[in-house]
Amino acid sequence: MSGIINIENMKKEYRMGKITVPALNGVDISIEEGEFVAIMGPSGSGKSTLMHIIGCLDKPTNGNYTLNSEIVSEIKKGKLSMIRNKQIGFVFQTFNLLPHLNILKNVELPLMYAGYNKKKRTSTAKKVLEEVGLGDRLKHKPSELSGGQRQRVAIARAIVNNPTIILADEPTGNLDTASGGDILSIFSDLNDKGHTIIMVTHDPAVAKRATRVINIVDGLIQDGDIT
Amino acid sequence: MAISLKENIIVGFSDFWSRKIRSIITVMGIVLGTMSIIVVLALVKGINAQTMKWMMERGGLSKITVSRNWRYEKPDHVKNYFTWKELKLIHSLIPEAKYFNPQQRHWVRHSYEDKNYQASVRGVLPDYSKIEEWDVQKGRFISSFDIEQSNDVIVLGTTIKKELFGNKNAVGEVITVHDRRLKVIGIMDFRYMKNSGAIGNDNAFSYLNRRSFTPLTTMIHKGSGNDNISTFTLKAHDAESAPALREKLSNIILNLRRGLPVFEVESAKEEAEEAAQNKKMFTTIFYIISVISLFVGAIVIANIMLATIQERTREIGIRLTVGARRRDIFVQFLVQTILVTTIGGIFGIILGLSLLDVVSNFLDMELIAGVAMIFVALLVSAGVGLISGIIPAIIASKLDPVEALRYE
Repeated sequence: MSGIINIENMKKEYRMGKITVPALNGVDISIEEGEFVAIMGPSGSGKSTLMHIIGCLDKPTNGNYTLNSEIVSEIKKGKLSMIRNKQIGFVFQTFNLLPHLNILKNVELPLMYAGYNKKKRTSTAKKVLEEVGLGDRLKHKPSELSGGQRQRVAIARAIVNNPTIILADEPTGNLDTASGGDILSIFSDLNDKGHTIIMVTHDPAVAKRATRVINIVDGLIQDGDIT
Repeated sequence: MAISLKENIIVGFSDFWSRKIRSIITVMGIVLGTMSIIVVLALVKGINAQTMKWMMERGGLSKITVSRNWRYEKPDHVKNYFTWKELKLIHSLIPEAKYFNPQQRHWVRHSYEDKNYQASVRGVLPDYSKIEEWDVQKGRFISSFDIEQSNDVIVLGTTIKKELFGNKNAVGEVITVHDRRLKVIGIMDFRYMKNSGAIGNDNAFSYLNRRSFTPLTTMIHKGSGNDNISTFTLKAHDAESAPALREKLSNIILNLRRGLPVFEVESAKEEAEEAAQNKKMFTTIFYIISVISLFVGAIVIANIMLATIQERTREIGIRLTVGARRRDIFVQFLVQTILVTTIGGIFGIILGLSLLDVVSNFLDMELIAGVAMIFVALLVSAGVGLISGIIPAIIASKLDPVEALRYE
């Protein structure tokens, strides 16, 4: 029970009408602070579900989940959004930027919900965008950027509140090899700086960057740790 | 603290702006609704001003009128008129009345040389002119001396004067009224007030110009031969003391008539309010139109907001993911709806204000704009936003983040 994330016997079922579809069938995972974990598995294996539960976007049907020694099922909804805001950063395969906002505003979004004033938000968001190499594109809309650039905006948004954990769901899935590589390098750098990174992928090349790979098939963890 | 109101308004504005056509269609109902609210309120204000003007023209707020109560069917043994003696008693009981004028009137023929004119002649006291705040333009009005002596004199309204004398001088001439010869001692001022909303006669006071006045005593002693008086008017010292005087007078008269409501005692204010009542149908129709269009507007807006939320499901998912609380989502959409309707309201107010002249000409009534009605219209349009936005905002705030993120 020493990890930043502890999951015990987690089950998740989805109800589709009268049929119950199991997604997770009793998963045990412990992740230490500073790890770079790749969660691998074929589509439909339950890896995205696991990711959503770790990210406090979804709730397990059964099992225990402790995040930073707090039992997530006992945390109130209002505080869960604060955890999503401050402790976790999300990066998605489809970037999930708001198309009608420029990238500066997109990156400011978590700061806004954290309650920072306009000045502080702009300066922080600017700094982080500069870090990911987009300091000269602040006023651009996401549609005016390439896929790789968009994913860098998404990363900037994920790290702008300096969260301990970064969750990435197939972050290179929509990118060509070159820009995918760039993105992975950014994740490695972030990991070096101390962020715990959990990345869902089905690409073994991507998984090589990780310090640990967790394989999941049919909602169950396969052979444990491969380094 | 999360997303601030200012932030919300900015987000709302950019949303409004990025969907111009849709926003304009959305707020059409609100625009029309607030527009008609402005028109109605201006109409009501105009009518009230008109009524007030009428009241002031007819002797002001301190005037009290006693007349027969036509709605009451009196028993045979009760008199529905006052005698001269009774009137003297009444007058002595209300020393606080500043002016006091009993009157008798008869519908008679006025003739001069070969000209005839049928009109109402009134037997009055000198106070009549004071109570009505109506003076002569030529000659003089009836004096106390005329009353004492029951002088054979008459004062003419401008219409009678014109009918009998044309443009010739009338003061000093003798005319025949019914069968008595009376000397014209004065001509009353011409009275005029615009009769709004009427077809044909545009002078609301033309009936006053058709009156003539003779000393009440002359009429009693030499004309009608009786001292039955069913109407009298009086004036309190000021408008504030009028209601109390009215109350007192009412009780005195009830006592004189065994508690039976044979007479009506009305203050000018009450009369004016009755007059305003008659124009209420106008305003009611307009109110109904406003409420219906606002209601339709609210339904349209609720509908469009629901569609908008569906369209923006993914955005809501993203916002929840980066730390928005459900309350933030709720406030965001509610504020946006209120913003949309308020913008519509502002347009409606501008449109309504610019339409006042047109409506005024069309209805031939005075419409008066005011600051208060602008606030009312703004408040109503914001209120419509609140009502129509609350359910869509609740739906938005209840979305499941994972499903919202998957939404295509």
